[in-house]
Amino acid sequence: MAELARNEYIKEASDYLRGTLAEGLTDEITGAIVEDDQQLVKFHGMYLQDDRDLRGERARKKLEKAFAFMLRVRISGGVLTTKQWRALDWVARVYGNGTMRATTRQTIQLHGVIKSNLKATLKAIDEQLLNTIAACGDVNRNVMSNPNPYQSKAHAVALELARGISDHLEPHTPAYREIWLDGEKIAGGEPEVVEPIYGKTYLPRKFKTVVAVPPSNDVDIFAHDLGFIAILDDNNDVTGWNVTVGGGMGMTHGEPDTYPRAADVMGFCATRDAIRVAEAVVTVQRDWGDRTNRKHARLKYTIEDRGLDAFRAEVEKRAGVKLAAAKPFTFTSTGDRYGWTEGENGKAHLTLYVENGRIKDTAGGAGMLTGLRKIAEIHKGDMRLTANQNVIVANIGGQERAAIEAIVKQYNLIQPASGLRRNSMACVALPTCGLALAESERYLPDLLTALDARLAAYGLSDDDIVIRMTGCPNGCARPYLAEIGLVGKGPGRYNLYLGAAHDGSRMSKLYAEDLEHDAIVATLDPVFGAYAKEREPDERFGEFVIRAEFVTRTRNGADFHANTGAKRAA
Amino acid sequence: MSPSPIPKTAPFADDEIDVLNRVVGPATAVQRAWLAGFLAGLDAQQGAAANDALPAAAQQKAEPLTILYATESGNSEKLAGDVAKSARKLGFKPSLVDMADLDVASLAGVKRLIVIAATWGEGDPPARAIRAYKDLMSEKAPRLDGTEFGVLALGDTAYVEFCAIGKALDERLAALGAKRIADRVDCDLDFAEPAATWIGATLKVLAPEVAPDAKVIAVDFGAKDLGAKPAPNLNVVEAEVTETINLNSSRSDKETYHLELSFEGAAPAYKPGDSLDLYAENDPAYVDALLTSARISDAALRGEFIKSRDVTTLSLKTMETYAGFGQRYVKGLLEAGTAKTWIAGRQLIDLIQQFPVALDAEKLRALTRPLSARAYSIASSRSEVGEEAHLLISAVRYRTHNRDRKGVASNYAAGLKKGARVRVKLKPNKHFALPSGDRDIIMVGPGTGVAPFRAFVQERRASAAKGRNWLFFGDRQFTHDFLYQTEWQDALKEGGLTRMDVAFSRDTPEKIYVQHRLWEKRRDLIEWLDGGATFYVCGDMNAMAKDVRATLVRAYADVKALSPEAAEQAVAALERDKRYQQDVY
Ligand code: SRM
Ligand SMILES: Cc1cc2nc3c(=O)[nH]c(=O)nc-3n(C[C@H](O)[C@H](O)[C@H](O)COP(=O)(O)OP(=O)(O)OC[C@H]3O[C@@H](n4cnc5c(N)ncnc54)[C@H](O)[C@@H]3O)c2cc1C
Ligand SMILES: Cc1cc2nc3c(=O)[nH]c(=O)nc-3n(C[C@H](O)[C@H](O)[C@H](O)COP(=O)(O)O)c2cc1C
Ligand code: SF4
Repeated sequence: MAELARNEYIKEASDYLRGTLAEGLTDEITGAIVEDDQQLVKFHGMYLQDDRDLRGERARKKLEKAFAFMLRVRISGGVLTTKQWRALDWVARVYGNGTMRATTRQTIQLHGVIKSNLKATLKAIDEQLLNTIAACGDVNRNVMSNPNPYQSKAHAVALELARGISDHLEPHTPAYREIWLDGEKIAGGEPEVVEPIYGKTYLPRKFKTVVAVPPSNDVDIFAHDLGFIAILDDNNDVTGWNVTVGGGMGMTHGEPDTYPRAADVMGFCATRDAIRVAEAVVTVQRDWGDRTNRKHARLKYTIEDRGLDAFRAEVEKRAGVKLAAAKPFTFTSTGDRYGWTEGENGKAHLTLYVENGRIKDTAGGAGMLTGLRKIAEIHKGDMRLTANQNVIVANIGGQERAAIEAIVKQYNLIQPASGLRRNSMACVALPTCGLALAESERYLPDLLTALDARLAAYGLSDDDIVIRMTGCPNGCARPYLAEIGLVGKGPGRYNLYLGAAHDGSRMSKLYAEDLEHDAIVATLDPVFGAYAKEREPDERFGEFVIRAEFVTRTRNGADFHANTGAKRAA
Repeated sequence: MSPSPIPKTAPFADDEIDVLNRVVGPATAVQRAWLAGFLAGLDAQQGAAANDALPAAAQQKAEPLTILYATESGNSEKLAGDVAKSARKLGFKPSLVDMADLDVASLAGVKRLIVIAATWGEGDPPARAIRAYKDLMSEKAPRLDGTEFGVLALGDTAYVEFCAIGKALDERLAALGAKRIADRVDCDLDFAEPAATWIGATLKVLAPEVAPDAKVIAVDFGAKDLGAKPAPNLNVVEAEVTETINLNSSRSDKETYHLELSFEGAAPAYKPGDSLDLYAENDPAYVDALLTSARISDAALRGEFIKSRDVTTLSLKTMETYAGFGQRYVKGLLEAGTAKTWIAGRQLIDLIQQFPVALDAEKLRALTRPLSARAYSIASSRSEVGEEAHLLISAVRYRTHNRDRKGVASNYAAGLKKGARVRVKLKPNKHFALPSGDRDIIMVGPGTGVAPFRAFVQERRASAAKGRNWLFFGDRQFTHDFLYQTEWQDALKEGGLTRMDVAFSRDTPEKIYVQHRLWEKRRDLIEWLDGGATFYVCGDMNAMAKDVRATLVRAYADVKALSPEAAEQAVAALERDKRYQQDVY
């Protein structure tokens, strides 16, 4: 049996995620923590990062790297009260870098929190009945749920399931309270007692669960380890769930045995069995997952290796539930419905566009941070984060609407005209992400401006075309599920992927490599041109590039790396 | 007296008698008295057999003279030393008293008293003199009838409270019944000349009345020439800038420069705790703006202004001179007594622009004073950096009355490039020095106050000192303003530092300063001090140093359950034992 991955020993020795974190916090002379603790702190929802913009100058100035922590809040289904919103906004301004980051998984990240402020920050978050437990790490992460409020009934059920799974799979270790909230130290005890589901070493790798309510696939159900698709009857009541397993994006350039994979639909289960099924999927992955190679440890590889049938059988055995055949369902898109909508409950909802999820005030631009704070100060409903890095002001009462509209105008919180921009996402990347090979969040807006000009020339400005960019192949903005995907290869260089399905059901295909800004525009321009000329009525860009043979269709898994490259000289 | 007082009958050869006549003939009373005492003493020295030829008067003692000085950065102390030297020549028996060690009661009965006092803070006494100064101002002070005195005040016209302490002492002594035999002189930063003149004149007046008939001055053969021990080089020397680094991150709103200076041949023999006087130049842009505002173009004047005149400081003195040029408004300000407030935050250029008056080169020059050197704590130890000296200089920049202001020397330093040559002078500070290696030290140095402690740590490391070293540092932001962070990390690893506590004021909603950390750690602090540790404070005088001292007093009161008075005494005792040392500015 091959050597276990290093992290396995760290987890084993950590005494349920304590490690030496408490001691590390008392060392005021460095902003960092020791290496092993850097792995453990992820389970507590934090990452040690350093400002890469400043790396060059620090050593000469006799300063260590500009260390700071990224905190990821655990928000099941992305629903926050306005009070919680105001608190996070305050924390971001006082202890963070003055921005909030709406993520692709429906939560808020804070960047730039220095070590000496971690406890105060986590206390403030705790006071709002929020925490960062297991927002990262080899555990079940934040559970996403379609936030769309205009199907209030189904949404309520979906959110309930999301929260149920999230709570059920939350790590039990008291380490978090002990270390960050000065809670009583509770002695180790029997592994099974401390972590009945995970045990001492938790999961082989991160684990992500989502809940979707058709026809919206905004949560990108096929990108996650585990998913539940609500099956609705004619009056929009949830009858049960299709269970999906084995989705994931992450891969490594030049390593073909790592690949993004769209999840399989494993079967159908009733609502009362859903949590038991979820637990079974987690424990099978806990025992079957590859703990020797972290690049091969996600559930998607377990299923590729063992086969879906064997996996399903083991899950049914452990859950004591027989899965029925999957029920039919249709997704129409992965995007958000911007602007005002009416819900079944008669309340109004406002979906606001947030450029790449970065909630901040931009000189001359939108006053996102202040604007949303102002709204949270008067709003009586709730605030919701979408899986597309946007924000929904939900359940707005009739009388509130005018006041909120006024704030929207005052702070210029308007959605972009361009269909491409409306359907765009970029991951964080530089300067905080330690794995970034290229810019993403800070660059995409400029690229979009250039591409919009070309689209306008072909009269395609209003078309919804999904474009996503990431600074490395890890795929945090799910670029392989975008009709246009750009993945960082090196400074200023990107690989271009085309041909994913608009509804998020099919992965894209590598079209061209190592493109810099001008080359990206030049490469896409003729494809846009052809799309404008040759498209069939309502044909989506992602479908067109395959039919028009610019790229071949990606079936699944390892097929992602097969017959890549431009098939048609544009 | 006759040109040839030595009778032919004297027991000398004729040619010897001529020589003696040439010397003794024109000699003054004092010189003869001295000679008499000298010869008498000489015999006594050589233990010559008791000799009835010995003039009885030879026993008479020299006149005592007390020289009291209150100093922070050593100028007054140096002058006091000069006074003692020349006084001795004139036949006094001078005794030097640092006000830090003065017991006011001991002033009673002093016949002749010379006081040299500097003013600090905003018209405060030098820190170490505060205790005695308070006593002197209180009813603890003895009557001084029968004391003759003179006061020399050191100060800086840039401060509104110019020479406040010298003035106060001058009045107080008179009030206590002492007789002022020399008028006080208030010296500006260029004190050398006026001080020398005052000293000469005052000593003459104080000089003992010597009648022609045989008076004898006892000569103290024990008196050592002050210049005896090899003194370090205290002259202005040139140095080359071999390294310059702004230690603050590019995100900081501050700039603090680490400068490395190397000297041709040996560096001035500095000790950790000493400072360097830096002879800076003015910003040519400012000088040009000034000249333009004054409608003067004069290349020579421009050159002189840049190199050697203080063209920024606006003092009441300047205002008076300016009013003298017939500027009515300024005259009005002075008469109304509002000039003090008007000059606050303003510079010479504001005066000239706001109240124009016809000026020529000479008049404009009359509004300036010599550009004085600025002191910078040396941030290195020769035992680690050899013939180099490192400085840590914070660029003083601020905005007042809608104009961006730049500190002259600090911005000159900030602008220095590698290879530039600068002029510096060693400024020793024996009141801020390391104890023996086996003693513990506690160093409190926020901001640039940390400079001398870098020297301390280097020295303790190089000398493998056994004592423990505890550093308190503070600044604005941990990430952007942690001066010398990686050096401290190394020092903590290899033991050059035993402990370090930091306070960053802009990382949290409520500001945290070093004194808060001192308070948190008060138990350990008092324990260290009880164990004989020396406590050092360097940096900002007005806010920080006062708060730190107050905090230490509170710490004593809290940890040892002492009354506020007793706690104050505990700290005062540290100061008297030279175990509370500060170098603040
Ligand atoms: C913030 C976020 C991107 C965004 O722009 O919103 C993000 C940011 C990071 N991701 Fe991610 N990931 C984010 C969603 C995703 C997604 C999308 C999703 O889950 O729907 C994926 C692809 C799906 C998947 O998991 O396969 C994703 C796949 C990764 C991977 C690759 C995992 C793999 O199996 O290979 C890594 C690297 C790793 O885990 O080794 C990673 C690692 C990271 C780290 C923590 C970098 C690191 O490990 O040091 C990034 C922090 C950057 C920063 O400074 O904030 N992130 N990451 C998203 C936060 C989601 C959340 O709230 O929990
Ligand atoms: C013994 C000693 C050691 C020292 N060690 C160091 C050291 O190690 N590092 C260091 O950086 N400095 C040190 N200093 C201070 C240094 O000598 C200078 O005083 C300092 O650099 C400012 O000089 P400058 O010529 O740049 O400013 P100047 O041209 O002298 O201007 C300073 C004046 O500007 C005015 N001013 C300054 N700030 C403001 C404000 N915010 N608002 C209004 N007016 C203001 C004040 O009147 C102040 O006196 C030390 C001083 C002493 C006495
Ligand atoms: C921080 C600081 C504050 C000062 N405050 C005053 C003051 O209020 N009034 C004054 O006349 N001189 C003031 N001075 C000038 C000093 O009195 C002057 O430098 C004097 O020569 C110092 O003498 P010393 O070395 O004996 O202490 C101040 C100097 C410094 C560095
Ligand atoms: S995709 Fe890569 S660069 Fe972007 S945030 Fe994720 S890890 Fe960082």
